[in-house]
Amino acid sequence: MRILLAEDDPMLGDGLRAGLRQLGFQVDWVRDGMAAERELISGGYTAAVLDLGLPLKDGLDVLQALRARKNTTPVLVLTARDAVPDRVRGLDLGADDYVAKPVDLHELAARLRSLVRRAHGQVQDILRCGAVQLDPSARLVKLDGESVMLSTREFDLLHALMLNAGRVMSREQLEQQLYSWGYEVESNAIEVHIHHLRRKLRADIIQTVRGVGYTLLRTPELA
Amino acid sequence: MIFKRPQSLQTRLLAMVLTLLTLVWLGAALFTWSDTRHEVDELLDGHLAQAAALLMVQQTRSDEDDVVDAPSPHKYAPDVTFQVFHKARLTTRSANAQTTPLSSEKTGFATVMLLDGNQWRVFAMHDNETDVQVFVGEQTESRDEIVWGVLRNILVPLVFALPLLALLLWWAVRHGMAPLRQLSQALANRQPQALEPVVLDKVPTEMQPLVDSLNVLFERITRMIAFERRFTSDAAHELRTPIAAIRAQAQVALGAGTDAVQREHALQSTLIGCDRATRLVLQLLTLARLEAAPSTAATSTIDLSQLARRIAADLAPTALAHRQDLELEANAPCPVPGDETLLGVLIRNLIDNALRYSPDGARVCVNVTNESAQVVLRVEDSGPGMTEQEIAHLGERFYRVLGHTQPGSGLGWSIVKRIVEVFGAQVQVNRAPLLGGLCVTVRWPKTAAPTTAS
Repeated sequence: MRILLAEDDPMLGDGLRAGLRQLGFQVDWVRDGMAAERELISGGYTAAVLDLGLPLKDGLDVLQALRARKNTTPVLVLTARDAVPDRVRGLDLGADDYVAKPVDLHELAARLRSLVRRAHGQVQDILRCGAVQLDPSARLVKLDGESVMLSTREFDLLHALMLNAGRVMSREQLEQQLYSWGYEVESNAIEVHIHHLRRKLRADIIQTVRGVGYTLLRTPELA
Repeated sequence: MIFKRPQSLQTRLLAMVLTLLTLVWLGAALFTWSDTRHEVDELLDGHLAQAAALLMVQQTRSDEDDVVDAPSPHKYAPDVTFQVFHKARLTTRSANAQTTPLSSEKTGFATVMLLDGNQWRVFAMHDNETDVQVFVGEQTESRDEIVWGVLRNILVPLVFALPLLALLLWWAVRHGMAPLRQLSQALANRQPQALEPVVLDKVPTEMQPLVDSLNVLFERITRMIAFERRFTSDAAHELRTPIAAIRAQAQVALGAGTDAVQREHALQSTLIGCDRATRLVLQLLTLARLEAAPSTAATSTIDLSQLARRIAADLAPTALAHRQDLELEANAPCPVPGDETLLGVLIRNLIDNALRYSPDGARVCVNVTNESAQVVLRVEDSGPGMTEQEIAHLGERFYRVLGHTQPGSGLGWSIVKRIVEVFGAQVQVNRAPLLGGLCVTVRWPKTAAPTTAS
């Protein structure tokens, strides 16, 4: 999952980025409100962690601008302003979750996963698609009850496809979800990962829509 | 010990007015009494003299007859008496007159006790040619009666009027004090926490200053409480971020696993975060102490040059660690009124800020001079400086300049501003003319006393 982290404090931003990376997130870090808004509008983020006291543009203004543009990226507000009126205002302006500093990294990760799950209409943490079962918090994948070993990228790719099951995802969209800044993405990287996934799971599990992208078909028992 | 009861203003006023009224009335009575007495004496003495003269004149007729007893034609006649002696022989007298002379005096007035046991006022007159001696007397008691009659007319109404006046005054005072009662009622009925201004519909001019100062006081307290609340919330807000950073970095270190570089970095960051939180707490405490400090903290005279030298020496290792060039120019003694600790905090903050916000290898110049009896402290740096807009925002608590990797809370500036305010000095921020970075100038007011070095 690719997360945008908007935090102006250098040390906290650094810590959150490193911590979330350890927990399997792809993290891009911006330090002011203008950059946060620009990045979120450009898309490609599964969710965002937004500080409110940002320079140049306040976090709440960023949120408002985002929602005004019908951008539905799940946003978790992480702030030191934790008075009830602040929370109410944040949630009313379109925040999906509101967490006061300081926060436990594991809790933050769990909340982000939960945000993403809900944003995709899932109720349970463990995603299922036919014989495939994916546990985002434990980062485990099972096929017919048997554990399957996947690389980080393969897991993230499967996660993205399962979250968007039934929808066709373009190669660019998948790349955006998989890679944070600073990575040289090779042009056939996604194809390679898809190939590996098909080999490790089942060949028919991921469908290719020629010229458009890839999709994971919802099986009848899930639909 | 005498237990002093809280006195009612109303009772006090009433008692004072009634006492004064009685005193004035009694004074008036006393004056009337003495004046009447004097007038009556003069008038009646005149009559006595007149009567004596008349008797003297009538004495021209021969006096070979026996003693003549004059008739007494009026009810007051027993109070009046006279004697006429010719050649020491009593020739005429009033019916109630004794046979011996009324007075030992030959002429003039005398007040004597006569044989009948009463006090008399006697006028004596003597004619040397004819050797006629006339005495005319009058009972003093009758004079007193007249005077007392007049006095009664003054004092009797007082006895009756006083209770009535007391009643009327009580009503008037009570009525007049109504606004005061209303105010105390309004104050008593307020909630103890209530700080809104007192509003009364009709406030007398005498009470307006009281109500006004009360309202000013309420307003000041409201502002102070608001400040206190904002400060607490700001401080809590500002402390959460470094703590969150420490926590996140510590968790990163824990989760680093075999990645020694990451763990090392995270642990270093944790330490730096602790130092930062400590500094912030110290700054907050200093600021809180400063806010509570009275505006006249100047207790002694401090040599700013010496103080600046000491603090520059303290901070020199930090500067050296960043290869920064810290220069001090403070040669002449520069005495300023102030408190050593506070002035130390001021200088430390200025130098610390300059070092903190200037890159490695930068220059920082500290200048303490005595420019025509005015002490000036100047801290210049070759750092990136600030834009006009950023300078305008300076000192807003928790305002930080964007793009700095140096952690800071903007509290340092709040502290500097407050200390400068406490000592009545002035602070100015602009672009450093020589070094190109920021230049902060603190000017102390000119001292009247000669500040030349001895």
